[in-house]
Amino acid sequence: MGFLELKSLSKSFGDEIVLDGVSLSVPEGGTLVLFGRSGAGKTVLLRSIAGAIDPDGGFIAIGGEDVTSVPPEYRGIGMAFQNFALFPHMTAYDNIASSLTSKRMSASEIRTKVDAVARLLKIEHVLSHAPKALSNGQKQRTALARALVAEPKILLLDDPLRNVDAKLRFEMRLELPRLLADRGATIIYVTQDYKEAMALGDRIAVLDQGNIVQIGSPEDIYRRPENTQIAQLFGDPTINLLDVVPKQDDRGLHAFLSDQRVDFHGRFPGVAGRDCIVGLRPEALSFAKEGGFPVTIEAVTPFNEKTVTLATTLRGREILLSQPAQDPVPAGPEVNLQIAAQDAILFDRATGQRIAPEPDGNQVEEAA
Amino acid sequence: MTAQLHLNSINKRYNPGTDHEVHAVQDLDLEVERGEIVALLGSSGCGKTSTLRMIAGFEEVSAGEVSIDGRRIDRLAPAKRGVAMAFEGYSLYPPLSIRENIAFALKSEKLPQSDVDNRVEQIAALLEISDILDKRPNAISGGQQQRASLGRALIRRADLHVLDEPMGQLEPQLRAILRGRIKHYIKEHELTAILVTHDQTEANALADRIAVMEGGILQQFDTPENLKNRPANIFTGAFIGEPPMNLFSAVAGVSDDQVELRLSADTALRYPVTAFSEELRQRIQHDNGIMIGIRPHSVQLTEEGLPAEVFANQWLGDQTHIAARFAGASIVSVVHDLALPRPGDQINVSIAAADLHIFDTKSGDALSHGGNLA
Amino acid sequence: MDHTSFLERWFRRVALSIIVIFFMFPIFWIVLMSLQTNETILRSPPSMSFVPTFDNYLAILAGRLDSNVASMGINFVNNLMNSIILSVCSVAVALCLGVPAAYAFARHKFKGSEDIAFTLLSFRFAPPLLVLLPLTLYFQEIGLADTYLGLVWVYQLICLPLILWIVRGYFEDISPDIEYAYRIAGHSWFSTFRKIALPLAGPGIAAAGLLAFIFAWNNFIFALVLASADKQPVTVGALAFVTASGIQYGQIAAAIVLSIAPTLALALWAQKYLVEGLSLGAVKG
Repeated sequence: MGFLELKSLSKSFGDEIVLDGVSLSVPEGGTLVLFGRSGAGKTVLLRSIAGAIDPDGGFIAIGGEDVTSVPPEYRGIGMAFQNFALFPHMTAYDNIASSLTSKRMSASEIRTKVDAVARLLKIEHVLSHAPKALSNGQKQRTALARALVAEPKILLLDDPLRNVDAKLRFEMRLELPRLLADRGATIIYVTQDYKEAMALGDRIAVLDQGNIVQIGSPEDIYRRPENTQIAQLFGDPTINLLDVVPKQDDRGLHAFLSDQRVDFHGRFPGVAGRDCIVGLRPEALSFAKEGGFPVTIEAVTPFNEKTVTLATTLRGREILLSQPAQDPVPAGPEVNLQIAAQDAILFDRATGQRIAPEPDGNQVEEAA
Repeated sequence: MTAQLHLNSINKRYNPGTDHEVHAVQDLDLEVERGEIVALLGSSGCGKTSTLRMIAGFEEVSAGEVSIDGRRIDRLAPAKRGVAMAFEGYSLYPPLSIRENIAFALKSEKLPQSDVDNRVEQIAALLEISDILDKRPNAISGGQQQRASLGRALIRRADLHVLDEPMGQLEPQLRAILRGRIKHYIKEHELTAILVTHDQTEANALADRIAVMEGGILQQFDTPENLKNRPANIFTGAFIGEPPMNLFSAVAGVSDDQVELRLSADTALRYPVTAFSEELRQRIQHDNGIMIGIRPHSVQLTEEGLPAEVFANQWLGDQTHIAARFAGASIVSVVHDLALPRPGDQINVSIAAADLHIFDTKSGDALSHGGNLA
Repeated sequence: MDHTSFLERWFRRVALSIIVIFFMFPIFWIVLMSLQTNETILRSPPSMSFVPTFDNYLAILAGRLDSNVASMGINFVNNLMNSIILSVCSVAVALCLGVPAAYAFARHKFKGSEDIAFTLLSFRFAPPLLVLLPLTLYFQEIGLADTYLGLVWVYQLICLPLILWIVRGYFEDISPDIEYAYRIAGHSWFSTFRKIALPLAGPGIAAAGLLAFIFAWNNFIFALVLASADKQPVTVGALAFVTASGIQYGQIAAAIVLSIAPTLALALWAQKYLVEGLSLGAVKG
């Protein structure tokens, strides 16, 4: 049983179902990222855990104790908000100290703790400022300090890097795990940025329309997405999705792209002849010296760390390819592409669900 | 070729002569060629939106001139400037359907109805909004509204198309494809476009040239390629690129056979003299404050090289960001293979002279890119 | 170079001046009148030149109304005190009841909450006379007629909806996240209300209170019907200046100046809070 346990949590606003029976379990000290588009229910879920919203059904347990009807001030939670939610009429110091003033604690004790957390987050020099005198980065750190200072058992971070500029967001993304690790808190981190989700989560829960559609490690989600939608949410540029009808022969399951045979590794009984979609990550494609399938280069966009090429197949399908910036793009427009076949993901076209290869164990059994 | 849009030393001052005076745009010179796509790129408050609003006519020009196609327009009413604009806040007319909203932009061209229908269908197909043409703005999502707003601006044949954060609200899975299509459309119809964005990926993908702004001042106006390889100053160097450029302050020491860039008491980069041009050696030898910049993807993890201790390793699917303590600060490296150091591991990093950018600390200006003077 | 032309700026100034003169003229004229005798006021043609006199003020403060035919006692100072007591008490009661109610309406949407809030506002729609006549009978029945308590109670019809609706808007403008943040930091809902909601809506509450005060102060009809001579405020008391022997314009003017002085002073003093209140939207960010 996890430290934080949610069981079939549901919530509706009028006719709109925001949470549709969400169950989750997070081990003590773990970091779970809640990922989803806006409107997926992430924020409502987080607020239900914090106690700011009363769920219609289900229960929430922290450390084995049912807290579903416990008011927020008794849940021992720290939370950082996307819009910072600093108290505009208090200084940064008073903002941070507000998490401690409710507890029986002397002024000097509070001072020590606020100073310590301010030093950790490098905001000692702005403690006497009002929020409106702080830069966005400083506001974000003050909000984080307020969430951290009381050493909560559970830390809820609601897209805390959303409103800071790209450079700071990147720096904080690298720094955050270190800042949070030695506090031992159980963390729920909400984000819409797949990079943040993959970088920060031990596990990622993908939320869509009030349901958790997949939960797993970053690698699970990226390499084995449950459906085409999740596959499209992770990765930049987005995954190539091409309609295929795979065929089976003694070399295994395969499909044809631009008349070139592409093999799928693993056993897929009953898939041959079905309408499928093959998902190819742009970085799983590369230019082939020889062999591969022919495409026409349409546009090459060099970014700093990678080069993205848009090409069309013989049948006019658009396909994106991404490679490290230092690798050369061959002179086009007619080139050949090759696929790292183990990275091809097969989906059912009707449902969009991933078709997983059968585990090897079966194969052994059958062979025997 | 004549400039389609010419900004001649334009300025914007808010609340002039008061305590709250803000000099939002300072002596901005910019020329956009006919058929060119230019992006104004910068973080919020850099002056890019004020500039755009001055071009479109929603904001008075405090000083300077704006001309389109050789015609001075800065005192004309917005409607008379020949500018088509797509707004960040969509601003679709709520009582009209999406089709009527888009067709509305063609009213002044007095086209036969069949032409209007054709063009609306065409732009709707391009922007993937064919299926919602008969809906009202409040019945569709934010991303769809933004696409409709874009359609309304792009369907016109204006002298200048002005796009304010045109893709900020777009669904991520559509962005990459739509960027390509919009660029293609603008080029095909020989439109001239200026767009404002804070997203460098968008600027990179759409624009022929990018004007990087900060604090109301134009920092660099150049092709994406040059912004990446030849940043004009520390600001552009650090601003362009994701992850951002690694920057260290350094002291240069030039001897007969080697150039030493000392980053901290126990860390120094050493290169043979031949790696740097004669003029550059002269220049940095007499400069007592320089900054060196290295792009994260140019930081190599090697057997030899300088020691660093890894503190973060973040896998993003197609690339991995490795951050390490180095020279009293931190250094970030982007790698693509999977044999990775874990946090706590000792690694060695090396930086090729060809990948070095050197800046003057005081002025912030670039001194060299890859061993030769800037 | 500023693009607004000289002509445009000049025109703006003239237009502003005309508006100011238009609105300030009655006040200016009344101040002038209050410094003249009835004779100089009524001479024809009117003239701006006269010898200022404070007789009107002295007469009012002394409580003696002299006309050319007779002199009678008038209780203006008492009326002024009544106005102050009634307005201050009404606003105080309305704030005590209205602010928590406004908070509840802003934060807790329940079935029918909108209807209740609207019903409260609708008290302002009905013509006061409609309510007054039955109310007078009831009040006489239960002994509330001609008491401060009864008047303050009826004044809630004016003050409470005003405060409720204005302050509710201010509470709604405060991001709920700010309050959640304080709750999660370990504070009860009441201390959140006291330490976060009240201070942040403060300027709005002040503005609403001020408006309610002005409305209460200027009320005429409730007091006319429900109050006897010793409880009536200045608005009703001013009727006494219309005497059988003529209308005492000078003294009316002096009385008006005295009776608008408190609200005017209050409005001027509260101006900066009003402006602050309007710019409070910044809290949202």
